[in-house]
Amino acid sequence: MTAVSAFLVPGSPLHLLRPDNPPWRPIIAGFERAARALAVSRPDAILLYSTQWIAVLDALWQARPRLTGTHVDENWHDLGDMPFDIRVDTDLAHACVKAVKAAGISSKSVDYDQFPIDSGTIVATRLLDPDGRFPLVMAANNLYHDAATTMKMAGVAAATARAQNKKVAVVGVGGLSGTVFREPVAIEQDRIAADSDDDWNRRILRLLEKGETGQLDGRIDEYAREARVDMGFKHFAWIRGAIGGRFFGARVHGYGPAHGAGAAVIEFRL
Amino acid sequence: MANGEILAGFLAPHPPHLVYGENPPQNEPKSEGGWEPLRWAYERARKSLDELQPDVLLVHSPHWITQVGHHFLGVRHLSGKSVDPIFPNLFRYSFELEVDVELAEACCEKAAQRGLTAMMMRNPKFRVDYGTITTLHMIRPQWDIPIVGISANNSPYYLTTEEGLDEMDTLGRATREAIEATGRRAVLLASNTLCHWHFHEEPDTPEDMSREHPQSYDGYKWDMRIIELLREGKTAEVFRILPQFIDEAFAEVKSGAFTWMFAAMDYPELPGELHGYGTVIGTGNAVMEWNLVKAGLAGAAAIPPSAAGGREAYAGAMR
Repeated sequence: MTAVSAFLVPGSPLHLLRPDNPPWRPIIAGFERAARALAVSRPDAILLYSTQWIAVLDALWQARPRLTGTHVDENWHDLGDMPFDIRVDTDLAHACVKAVKAAGISSKSVDYDQFPIDSGTIVATRLLDPDGRFPLVMAANNLYHDAATTMKMAGVAAATARAQNKKVAVVGVGGLSGTVFREPVAIEQDRIAADSDDDWNRRILRLLEKGETGQLDGRIDEYAREARVDMGFKHFAWIRGAIGGRFFGARVHGYGPAHGAGAAVIEFRL
Repeated sequence: MANGEILAGFLAPHPPHLVYGENPPQNEPKSEGGWEPLRWAYERARKSLDELQPDVLLVHSPHWITQVGHHFLGVRHLSGKSVDPIFPNLFRYSFELEVDVELAEACCEKAAQRGLTAMMMRNPKFRVDYGTITTLHMIRPQWDIPIVGISANNSPYYLTTEEGLDEMDTLGRATREAIEATGRRAVLLASNTLCHWHFHEEPDTPEDMSREHPQSYDGYKWDMRIIELLREGKTAEVFRILPQFIDEAFAEVKSGAFTWMFAAMDYPELPGELHGYGTVIGTGNAVMEWNLVKAGLAGAAAIPPSAAGGREAYAGAMR
């Protein structure tokens, strides 16, 4: 199988910028465990999709060989800077553009100095692969793509990696429930904003742990709607698409809040 | 210092295509032109702004999205290269701008006093969004007037449209109070497109105007209805139907700048001057002006002699 590991992780900058904050420790600990699992899986590249890299025309794929710089989050600018240094598997990225286009989804590569890299991508790469050992293939979240299109795109990307004899780790970057506090809250008092969101998140996490894909398929739309899930949970669709739809369970390495929203670090059993 | 006032408000949309079409030295990609009617509209708006000689330009942009509260640029000097994440092929622009931090702080404070969550952005490495930069370049390419940059809180999307726009009304009133209290002669820029239905693919030559037209006829008809009402000064009617316009034309005014600007100007029933209308990848864009000085709603006496001289010189050149 092309995919040797798969993870769903949160893209909020809060955990990266204040890792010692008690409510955020479970997420940081989860990232540490997921990072070890990713390293052990020894992928040739990481196929990463972040809900925070927004596109509206085409499916965009990052094709600049090396991306370096310092990013400041649009909302959490007071918590500090996020330096990044990301390598891209440009052969695979260009091949993905071609293959996804051939599959009927308009696609383009981007290769520009100082192209804005989103917070989610930086958080995930910094915490999952702190030493930058594995090159990335990064796809944008086109707002007009539904889950089915996202799955299809991820499936084509995985098949393209297989054609290049590459093993990949699949990473979907995004949150769970999306209700946030609309006012400042002391960070040490962060929590899931709504009990109903917390219930929904835990229900879905249990189904993921058990690998209940049938039940999940029947609940995800409702979950996305009722719990305001980040981008309709398309980051999960990315993972499903890249791993061929099936998984045999999952390990929730960490679950907790991100200014009221839900966040979890999840490793899928393939 | 006191007795500041708002001199004018402009509807000043931010498609980066307009900068690309103009080929200013700050922008890396070069074009063969394109979107001329809208760029000429901005030329007329520039002349009008030049006459007003404001102390400060305040811009509310939908592309600085903040989840928690309304944020204000609070670093005196900001510079960098802005690359549009959606159209990086068209917009890679080196900018330098000066922020009127005192006014920004006053806006923030007044907003907080009115119960809004408001914060200052103090990080000197912050990347200013391309909407702010495009609007500012198109209205004042000299970059010689200090600015106040205001984020778009996601309230109209997170809450209902009406609740979100209520917040923007409060933000506008707070902005007006801050301008008055700090003695500034200010111009407001609402960085919004009207109908926002757009194409999903770009032509190989983006400036090929044979490919440019409204994406939606219904959206176009909505734009004309709104513009006609604005040209007639029927502001109350526009705001009565605004939620319907937003829903049916997917109008970008949902993000709040338009409401913020009109609330700050106290919703004058004043005919707006249409400098021009055009589409960009199918979206509807109008450059419009509400000149409160010309209408006698702001004190012409406050215009410094240098501005009056400039106006006479301009009038002479036109004769």
